[in-house]
Amino acid sequence: MERSVTHVALFAALVAVLGLVPALTLPGGVPVTAQSLGVMLCGTVLGARRGALAVLLFLGLVALGLPLLSGGRGGLGVFVGPSVGFLIGFPIAAFVAGLVVERWSAPVGVAAAAGAFLGGIVVLYPLGALGWALMLGKSVAEVQVFLLGFLPGDLVKVGLVALVTRALAQMRPGSLLSRG
Amino acid sequence: MLTLTSPVETPFHRVPAGAKLLALAGVTVLLFSMGDPVMLGLALTGIAALHLVGGLGLLRHGLRMLWPLWPFLAVLLAWHLWTGEVRDGWAIALRLLAAVAAANLVTMTTRLTDMIACAERLAAPLARVGVPPRRVALALALAVRFVPVMADRLAALREAWTARSPRRAGWRIIVPALLGALDDADRVADALRARGGTD
Amino acid sequence: MSVPSDPLPASGPDAILLDGVSFRVAGHEVLSDITLRLTERRIGLIGRNGSGKTTLLRLIAGLVAPSSGRVRIGAVDPFAERKAALGQVGILFQNPDHQILFPYVEEELAFGLRQGGLSNEAALHRAQAVLDAWGRSAWARVPVQSLSQGQRQMVCLMAVLAMAPETLLLDEPYASLDLPARMRLARRLHGLEQRVIVISHDPEALAGMERVIWLDAGRIRRDGPAGGVLPEFAAEMAQEGARDADADLAG
Repeated sequence: MERSVTHVALFAALVAVLGLVPALTLPGGVPVTAQSLGVMLCGTVLGARRGALAVLLFLGLVALGLPLLSGGRGGLGVFVGPSVGFLIGFPIAAFVAGLVVERWSAPVGVAAAAGAFLGGIVVLYPLGALGWALMLGKSVAEVQVFLLGFLPGDLVKVGLVALVTRALAQMRPGSLLSRG
Repeated sequence: MLTLTSPVETPFHRVPAGAKLLALAGVTVLLFSMGDPVMLGLALTGIAALHLVGGLGLLRHGLRMLWPLWPFLAVLLAWHLWTGEVRDGWAIALRLLAAVAAANLVTMTTRLTDMIACAERLAAPLARVGVPPRRVALALALAVRFVPVMADRLAALREAWTARSPRRAGWRIIVPALLGALDDADRVADALRARGGTD
Repeated sequence: MSVPSDPLPASGPDAILLDGVSFRVAGHEVLSDITLRLTERRIGLIGRNGSGKTTLLRLIAGLVAPSSGRVRIGAVDPFAERKAALGQVGILFQNPDHQILFPYVEEELAFGLRQGGLSNEAALHRAQAVLDAWGRSAWARVPVQSLSQGQRQMVCLMAVLAMAPETLLLDEPYASLDLPARMRLARRLHGLEQRVIVISHDPEALAGMERVIWLDAGRIRRDGPAGGVLPEFAAEMAQEGARDADADLAG
């Protein structure tokens, strides 16, 4: 039990710290942050349940007033702002990513890539777009074109999640809680 | 730990966190039920005035926290201008500003310890699904405690990279950072167990 | 024992120069007006925790820039000219777990070489050569995870030496080692061709150095041969230890 709590807490801290890493700016002004990488890793390393809890805890820290969201944002205001769809989507994305790694017996790198893709793009994007739609007063169909700007960066991140998760599994077999 | 709480004391700092959150919830619901840009503009002005009660510094802090919204607001207003829905555009923009500003006001005037205590109270219903609120508060406190530890480790790894490469540190440093997190988790779990566990 | 490397220039490694160097962080002055000319081959840096020793090392390694003053290795500014600096100075940090970036030993050794421009193959080749020279040929595909603290530190040392820097900087290398490992490391360091600068808070570790610099609260307290500086340092530490002064909070 103690290990579960500490794993969840320390990975929440890790997601926070990855938000402090300066973002790269792709042509077009779209920021590519390391934070969503951390969110997916919570899932692929800790598994669905603990991964989602870690991300929820991270959101809790943000709600408490810590400036841990990329760009030093935080506080209750971000939950009524434009990125609310993505914020709510984060723990779900981590859950999905973790679920794929847990349930699919493919090599861990492949499973992690699939999980990150399903969680970080297939599930997260519609939720993010929904948030934008509500905040902009437009329909989801109208806002979803803006998602395209994030796609290249997020596809790179899918690859990175796979690489990092696999490296972790190689470096210390048994360290992946998602694979028991 | 650096938080967004304003270091300058305001009258709002003394109001209990729970009361402020309740008020915020009420204000937010109210804002989202309004559609008239004039009324929303008045609401925003009211919220700004509340900031002033806490001092000019608080208003400035609040404005700084609203700053990251400007690209979104620009797109919002431009889009609605282009589709001829100027009124709606202003309503949405003002509502967004008002809601975010109100929420940020609570954040800026509530200390972290008060927030954690409030979170513990709010987590009380979780006890029914087997999650003791003490555990939630502990997890929050642990995570807060370890953010600087993780940051230091990441910085050390980045330096170890820079010491051997003229290029910026790449994604590779995430792996030892993760391993460090896993190791720390084990060590802290031992420390917790030795002092009575998580509940 | 010498490691295969490009032969050092006949005149020896370039002098390390610090000219009026100060370093401030968050309003606190960690180093104040340090001026040094380092030419000796075995130099020690001693001082209490928080005296600025690590910061001084990081300035020489070019990891940070001075708040005022200049740092030069020969004519090279180690902070601004990273590529040139990497050939002149290598640094070993205190904790191997905060330095090792790769799962397998040969990757860790090859990293700096690849970053320096070698192809992957050439880098791995040279990494193996380094392992062979240190009598550890079998370590190439060993996971770092399975090594002891002392062994991991060896990996870090070999990784830095593989890049053949002219000067090697070490931050408290003995701190986490047991006695035999400490003795081994000391022996290896003394056998190295390059200039070695070692930080330690323990006078015994620096007894064989040509020159010892004592840093106290960011300033140079004493600077001279080990035989002169170390006994004075040890005496002062004994005095400090006899008092209960650590109840005071910093600042």
